[in-house]
Amino acid sequence: MSNPTDVVVVGAGPAGLAAAATLGRHGARVTVVDEQQRPGGQIYRQPPTGHTRTGRRTEAGRALLAEAAAAPHLDWLPDTVAWGVFGTRAGLDDYAGPAPAPGRLRLGVHTPDGGRTLEPAALVLTAGAYDLPVPFPGWTLPGVLTAGGVQTFLKAQGLLPGRRFVLAGGHPLLLVVAAQLVAAGAHVVEVAFSQHLRTLLPGPRDLAAAVGNAAKLAEGAAALRHLRRARVPVRFGTVIRAAHGDPELDGVVLSRVDAAGLPVPGTERTVACDVLALGYGFVPSTELARQAGCAVAWRPAEGGWIVDHDDWMRTSVPGISVAGELTGVAGAEQAEVEGRLAAYGTLQTLGLLDADRAAALARPVRRILARRRRFAAAVLSRFAPDPAALNALVTDDTVLCRCEEVTAGDIRRALCDHPHLGTANAVKLLTRAGMGLCQGRSCQPAVCRLIAEQTGRSPEQIGAFTAQPPVKPVPLASLAAAARQHDDQG
Amino acid sequence: MSDTATPARPTRTGLHRPDPTTIMVDGEPVTAHPGESLATALLAAGRRTTGETTSGAGKAPYCNMGVCFECVVTVDGQPFQRSCLIRVRPGLIVQTGPAR
Amino acid sequence: MAHYDTAVIGGGLLGCAIAWHLARAGTRVLIVEKDQVNRHASGQNAGSLHFQLEFRMVEHGDDAARLAARALPLHLDAQRTWAGLEAALGAPCGVALRGGLMLAETPAEVAALDRKAALEREYGLDVQVLGGPQLRELAPYLADTVRAAGHLPGEGKANPRLVTPAFAHAALRHGAELRTGHRVTALHRDGGRWRLSTGDGRSDTADTVVLAAGVWTAELAAMADVRLPVFPVGLTMSATARTAPLLPHLIQHVGRRLSMKQTAEGNVLLGGGWPAKLVTRHGRTDLDRNPELRYESLTGNADAARVVPAVMRLPIIRSWSGMTTLTPDQLPLLGPVPRRPGLHVATGGSAFTLGPTYARLLASTLLGDRPDLPLDDYSPARFGALNFV
Ligand SMILES: Cc1cc2nc3c(=O)[nH]c(=O)nc-3n(C[C@H](O)[C@H](O)[C@H](O)COP(=O)(O)OP(=O)(O)OC[C@H]3O[C@@H](n4cnc5c(N)ncnc54)[C@H](O)[C@@H]3O)c2cc1C
Ligand SMILES: Cc1cc2nc3c(=O)[nH]c(=O)nc-3n(C[C@H](O)[C@H](O)[C@H](O)COP(=O)(O)OP(=O)(O)OC[C@H]3O[C@@H](n4cnc5c(N)ncnc54)[C@H](O)[C@@H]3O)c2cc1C
Ligand code: FES
Repeated sequence: MSNPTDVVVVGAGPAGLAAAATLGRHGARVTVVDEQQRPGGQIYRQPPTGHTRTGRRTEAGRALLAEAAAAPHLDWLPDTVAWGVFGTRAGLDDYAGPAPAPGRLRLGVHTPDGGRTLEPAALVLTAGAYDLPVPFPGWTLPGVLTAGGVQTFLKAQGLLPGRRFVLAGGHPLLLVVAAQLVAAGAHVVEVAFSQHLRTLLPGPRDLAAAVGNAAKLAEGAAALRHLRRARVPVRFGTVIRAAHGDPELDGVVLSRVDAAGLPVPGTERTVACDVLALGYGFVPSTELARQAGCAVAWRPAEGGWIVDHDDWMRTSVPGISVAGELTGVAGAEQAEVEGRLAAYGTLQTLGLLDADRAAALARPVRRILARRRRFAAAVLSRFAPDPAALNALVTDDTVLCRCEEVTAGDIRRALCDHPHLGTANAVKLLTRAGMGLCQGRSCQPAVCRLIAEQTGRSPEQIGAFTAQPPVKPVPLASLAAAARQHDDQG
Repeated sequence: MSDTATPARPTRTGLHRPDPTTIMVDGEPVTAHPGESLATALLAAGRRTTGETTSGAGKAPYCNMGVCFECVVTVDGQPFQRSCLIRVRPGLIVQTGPAR
Repeated sequence: MAHYDTAVIGGGLLGCAIAWHLARAGTRVLIVEKDQVNRHASGQNAGSLHFQLEFRMVEHGDDAARLAARALPLHLDAQRTWAGLEAALGAPCGVALRGGLMLAETPAEVAALDRKAALEREYGLDVQVLGGPQLRELAPYLADTVRAAGHLPGEGKANPRLVTPAFAHAALRHGAELRTGHRVTALHRDGGRWRLSTGDGRSDTADTVVLAAGVWTAELAAMADVRLPVFPVGLTMSATARTAPLLPHLIQHVGRRLSMKQTAEGNVLLGGGWPAKLVTRHGRTDLDRNPELRYESLTGNADAARVVPAVMRLPIIRSWSGMTTLTPDQLPLLGPVPRRPGLHVATGGSAFTLGPTYARLLASTLLGDRPDLPLDDYSPARFGALNFV
């Protein structure tokens, strides 16, 4: 199938928008794919079509959204899942040349109208990140949500998903979300922050930076002030131990932790609430990049597995670049800057920009990037959750894999019965953890931490669940229709 | 647990919305606004539980961004649709309950 | 360094099952596995227990089908073996023998089905070709396009996630030793024994060696200076989300690549021989990388599934690829290697379905008993012309 697209950008968050706008401005024909309805990604998520915000709040990311909307040569594919990259490894078919110039990549997409392929000369993957899932007893109850999920309900859907909120975790996003909830009239009963305040010093400036946007440097501090003024207790050195309720959440157990981050027995207290929002940081969405064969590296402070890249954001697979959170969780500003850099790299590959001009254009971008990276590096490590502290929240009957209902005890027993097993994939095969609809996104971090604890193996030895197409579920009928389409043409 | 006076029902806030429409959820009419996410509509209608695990435990939206698949429902006969990504349109027919 | 009666190279189904038989008989056995038990074909396959001839065996005409049919005595044995396997191992293996259907949609396919069934009945396999109301009653979930189906009541499925670990576990219980994460890198005769070395500088000796190394078998044979004609093929599998029980049978197709079954958990598994592309590096096949999934195979396999319309609305939640070994005549390669005293091989053919049978037969050869089925058709000796020393 011939396709006039030069570049497909997967993900319309800050990284993808910046990449697409930059590519389009320099003459590349770009298709942007996102499974959400509207561009913006997680942070600049816009309300649904036909909805408008009450009040006169300025929209975050407005400049970038406008830049992308005005960029030439841009084609949008909303509500569309990118589920597989083909022809990057074996190098045998006419569609998979060894270098991007003669060859084209094939990207399988599932649109509201069914399945098809896009055949760009280059791909920019900007799939972002998602909230780190942190299991503990009761975390599967209706009413327990991620902090990002609560924020999205509030900001993009105008919904307060409950009345009495407890927020727990270890990421500064918690403070921002708590302040937004208070501003929207919710009752925030408590914010439980796992770190001790002293470990977070030198200060709230960094809190905001870690959330991701230098323009919001003061936002974390401001959030904290708002919460104090609204008399919302923000307790540091406090963790979530359990969520209760039948059939739905009606309360949580919190307790103090010691200097090592481990719960102090006897300090448990129960707090009534109907929503618990969990914010422990983010996991980069590397699935599509890994499926395509891009090399990854283990960087715990940046969210876990991240995609390797050179200084033009090119991955180990020719024709594929990355930008944003999948190079390491570092926030929206860095994502945007990386998106532009990935665009300049890709434009060179496409022959639309010569090396000198690209270097000149990239210079100011690189300066910002260097500053952002230094800053992010200084802050990130302070919020990176400690594996032992997270493991301490898990009891034997805590569900790790929500989809297949596999508990920590199931996995411990499997490792005891089969002491020769010690990789994420082997444990998945034996226990079914990671075999459900979410494809392991919800359980992989906890399963791997547990394997590490039980076997003493390193995260690199344990590895990740292999990423295979489709990287998100796709209806059989859509795949079958794509087969028919191919037959008709061939 | 003493301080539970406020009802748990989620509330809509902060947006001007298109006029409401009706969708059918498990055979009952539910009022919702075209364009909002189905998860929003279900929660706002007081349905905090939107599904069931194989062992019968309740499930509900968790990530609200299309990653966890905890919020899946059957929409117009198509199973396993993420209610946090599906948008309300007039006449939508939704089944919650066990995911199958 | 240690000495064993038998060293089994490969911790797949064949290696673990052979080791179990040998350890049970009281011999000292070592299994060496370069990765983890069940990491390769044995843990990646479709779990079909198909005793009818498969599409790949009949697609190349009647002569080829006749040749492939020479494995049917093994099929008959395997049918009995699987029925008793869980009891023998004392562990669940997900064995469910609720019958299999080989579908035909066109008149030509119906004719092929009839010829195939006749051939299978010659060997004593109880295949009936069903059509019309009889078929609809048995399998109301089939699409209207299905005209007939070869029905074999003893066909079904087992769970590849469980079978090989169960064999490994049972072998260990009987005293076998298992060494994972060790790759055999040299294999040679040393004073009337076999010496096998692993990359870490360690070496052990054994009176007999079994090559149960799947697609790496040729590589290992070459270490003993033997050429064995086994070829790797890459295959594709896909799984749907779990759904309510809708498919009790094993489904295959006589005219296209398709195998379909529903697992105990409710996932529908799709396979049937859709190719995955072997990865090459520096111009050579790289067996240490998983084959690349092909778009055409994923979509083609999905399209083939439309013989059961109810599955088409389900999402595919994961696909994977694996490699299995083929021999030039599609028959197993099973038994002693000529002119290499004490060296045995087990690979080729449908070695999940037939694996427990291969293992039992090869183990009895090793233990000096006469196997209760003639193995001549499967002997490595048939490729003797490839070896000059
Ligand atoms: C839930 C959440 C809430 C956050 N809230 C804040 C906040 O309040 N303040 C703040 O400063 N930072 C916040 N962050 C962090 C901020 O979102 C990131 O720093 C920034 O958005 C990263 O930009 P990105 O372009 O890398 O990815 P994202 O903005 O995450 O964009 C990725 C896009 O890719 C799409 N996508 C992914 N995979 C596929 C696929 N296979 N097919 C099609 N589309 C796909 C997604 O739908 C998404 O729109 C939040 C993050 C999350 C996850
Ligand atoms: C996708 C797919 C679907 C299939 N479907 C079916 C089906 O439905 N029914 C059926 O009957 N068959 C099926 N098969 C075939 C079946 O899976 C294989 O025939 C069977 O599993 C072979 O078992 P094995 O033990 O010989 O090989 P493997 O499971 O591959 O085991 C060989 C082991 O040897 C190890 N090894 C190799 N070299 C060395 C070395 N130098 N040192 C140490 N260890 C080494 C490997 O690491 C490997 O673990 C399928 C195969 C695939 C790939
Ligand atoms: S709530 Fe996680 S996918 Fe919808």
